[in-house]
Amino acid sequence: MKTVVLVSGARHPVSRRPALTRLEAQAASLAAKLGGTVRGLHAGPSDDQLREALGHGLGEADWLEIEDRVDPVPALIDHLKAAAPDIVIAGRRGEGTGDTGLVPYALAEALDMPIIADVVGVSPGAGSGTVSIEQALKKGARRRLVVQLPVLVTIHPLAPPPSPFAFAAARRGTIRHERIEATGLPTAKPSPFVERPYRARPKMMRQAGAGQAGEKAVLVGPTPEEAAERILAFLEDNGIRRYSA
Amino acid sequence: MSRPRIDPRAARASHLVSTAGALRPRLDLGRTGPVSPTGRPRRDPRREMAVSRVSSDGRPRFDRSHQGSFEGLAPSNKTVVSPAPAAPKLRIVAEPAFLVFAIMEAPGGRLTRFDRQLLGAAHRLVGSSGEGAVAAIAFSPIADLGTAGADRSLIVEADGASASGRARLLRGLVESFAPRHVLFAEEGESADLARRLSVSMGEPILTDVEHLGPRQAIRATKGRMAEEVGEPPRLMTLGEDRAAPYGGETCGARTLAFSEEAAPIESDDAILSDEFIPGDPARLTLSETDFVVSAGNGVTDFDHFRKLAAALKGTPGASRVVCDAGLMPREAQVGASGTVLAGDCYLALGIAGAPQHLQGIAACEHVIAVNTDLHAAMIERAGLSIIQDAQLVMPALLKLLEERGS
Ligand SMILES: Cc1cc2nc3c(=O)[nH]c(=O)nc-3n(C[C@H](O)[C@H](O)[C@H](O)COP(=O)(O)OP(=O)(O)OC[C@H]3O[C@@H](n4cnc5c(N)ncnc54)[C@H](O)[C@@H]3O)c2cc1C
Ligand SMILES: Nc1ncnc2c1ncn2[C@@H]1O[C@H](COP(=O)(O)O)[C@@H](O)[C@H]1O
Repeated sequence: MKTVVLVSGARHPVSRRPALTRLEAQAASLAAKLGGTVRGLHAGPSDDQLREALGHGLGEADWLEIEDRVDPVPALIDHLKAAAPDIVIAGRRGEGTGDTGLVPYALAEALDMPIIADVVGVSPGAGSGTVSIEQALKKGARRRLVVQLPVLVTIHPLAPPPSPFAFAAARRGTIRHERIEATGLPTAKPSPFVERPYRARPKMMRQAGAGQAGEKAVLVGPTPEEAAERILAFLEDNGIRRYSA
Repeated sequence: MSRPRIDPRAARASHLVSTAGALRPRLDLGRTGPVSPTGRPRRDPRREMAVSRVSSDGRPRFDRSHQGSFEGLAPSNKTVVSPAPAAPKLRIVAEPAFLVFAIMEAPGGRLTRFDRQLLGAAHRLVGSSGEGAVAAIAFSPIADLGTAGADRSLIVEADGASASGRARLLRGLVESFAPRHVLFAEEGESADLARRLSVSMGEPILTDVEHLGPRQAIRATKGRMAEEVGEPPRLMTLGEDRAAPYGGETCGARTLAFSEEAAPIESDDAILSDEFIPGDPARLTLSETDFVVSAGNGVTDFDHFRKLAAALKGTPGASRVVCDAGLMPREAQVGASGTVLAGDCYLALGIAGAPQHLQGIAACEHVIAVNTDLHAAMIERAGLSIIQDAQLVMPALLKLLEERGS
């Protein structure tokens, strides 16, 4: 099984230096545990993030050097078409780049691969050419999917924590460097939006009991049985849980 | 500029009420005496208060926004007749010039806080002119869409469809209705759907929008070092707690007619099997779960408490006192120095409701309190309060649950 881990050109939120995001470190560890041939892939001006990913369990990586302002997606598509991996693992959002989370979707569309979002576990499937994927849903629910290869998955923060960074492994790993000239590649599409320095906007306060419908009920000294009835009725009326068999 | 000096004795004398034979002099400070050395009209604070008083019975309520002159106003004992509550008005948009889609998640057929915020944001995009209409799109039936602000509703029963199937279906809807905006929640399946739609339609999308107005949408980028600003595009995902829920008059929530052929529900060939595993509340962390059953210092019977939490299918929690005493693990602590809950419902057994504890449950929509003290802060916060001994209520609840056979 051939796995490719996508590493973005993320920056550390405080120091602004090139850094691997936690999600991509989780992706690298997950891929290393999965076995088979695992390679990292990054398209961008520097390979610092890839070097860090090697320390989290990747043995080898490909670095497509492109200039800063060039859209990495066409270069990634060309490379992935040639490499034809079975599983592509990406983070669900970047940090310090575009942060839209659109790159994996654009790749999946161009490569005609199914994409599974918010994955917390990947293991080889029972049949050949299949993989079993665990997806995180809301409220702690999970979905287990058996998917035909090839597939692209994005990692959810609840995936297993990344294996610790090993400096020796980062030094030992090899990065294959390929320079991609900007000629012929379209530069990033002009965005219809203007960019300006960030201004913090506080989130709205969550008010206590906002959206709480109906009157407040206070029962003074009910019998325990009556109290129990009322509590269960409250839970069922508000759709929290159902208790009837 | 020199002003004539006030003569306090003369001012006091002008307020004096002549009560012959009284021991103490009586003053009526409300009476505006003729003495105003400056010649300026004098304020009568009592009269102003009386005028701004809007309810005459029970607890006094004042409307301080009254800006007009207080000269020659009615006597202070006038009664303000409050108008009889009118029947709730209905907002009907008969022929909308354009639509704004809001994609609802509504697990279990109930709108979440985030869904309501999405409808509120959609109303900001529509404006109050009554030209456009907000259409709520959902994949399973939902109650209460009208009060939450949906002018139109479109329920496509596609609960079993895969994410790519839903994206194709949504694309069909967007192409046939041509909405001006489509709003998604930046969370879970909606965020996934939005991105699938964006790449399959080749439309730009503004993700995780932090500010949304009729003319401007803003999102953070480059790790919150920069922000992207522009006219609201067609596709947007809204961040949580970024818009107020709709608070206006009830909307019509008429059903939008659509033909199944426009949007067929297809399955995904690549997905061979699909198994849904519901979360096990006993093993979930407090920040993930939706229902917490919590014990405070008023609970002594922890055997029954643990059984009750399991039987109610809730995640056990505790106040700090209980965790400090080692009766519950530290991970179970709810509050400022424990876990801040994200769940919908909180059952507090014998918890007083200290501010540090209440901070942890600020986001909970439904709170039930069982406490022996009617004046505990938790009772103030709760939607249902039971003033009873927790040690008696817990076995009764367990017995009732057993009877119901769950
Ligand atoms: C810096 C700081 C951080 C803190 N952080 C937290 C935090 O994160 N989480 C937290 O919980 N606390 C926190 N605290 C502690 C907090 O201030 C309170 O001391 C604590 O929450 C009180 O817990 P309690 O309500 O369980 O106990 P008590 O205050 O002892 O209240 C017990 C309640 O149970 C009722 N009761 C008694 N007997 C019964 C009975 N038989 N049946 C029913 N009800 C009964 C009583 O009427 C009372 O209301 C913090 C304090 C500080 C100073
Ligand atoms: N230049 C890039 N090279 C390789 N992978 C990338 C690149 N940019 C983004 N990705 C992948 O796409 C994910 C989402 O990034 P983004 O769409 O920028 O939020 C990241 O976590 C990476 O896995």
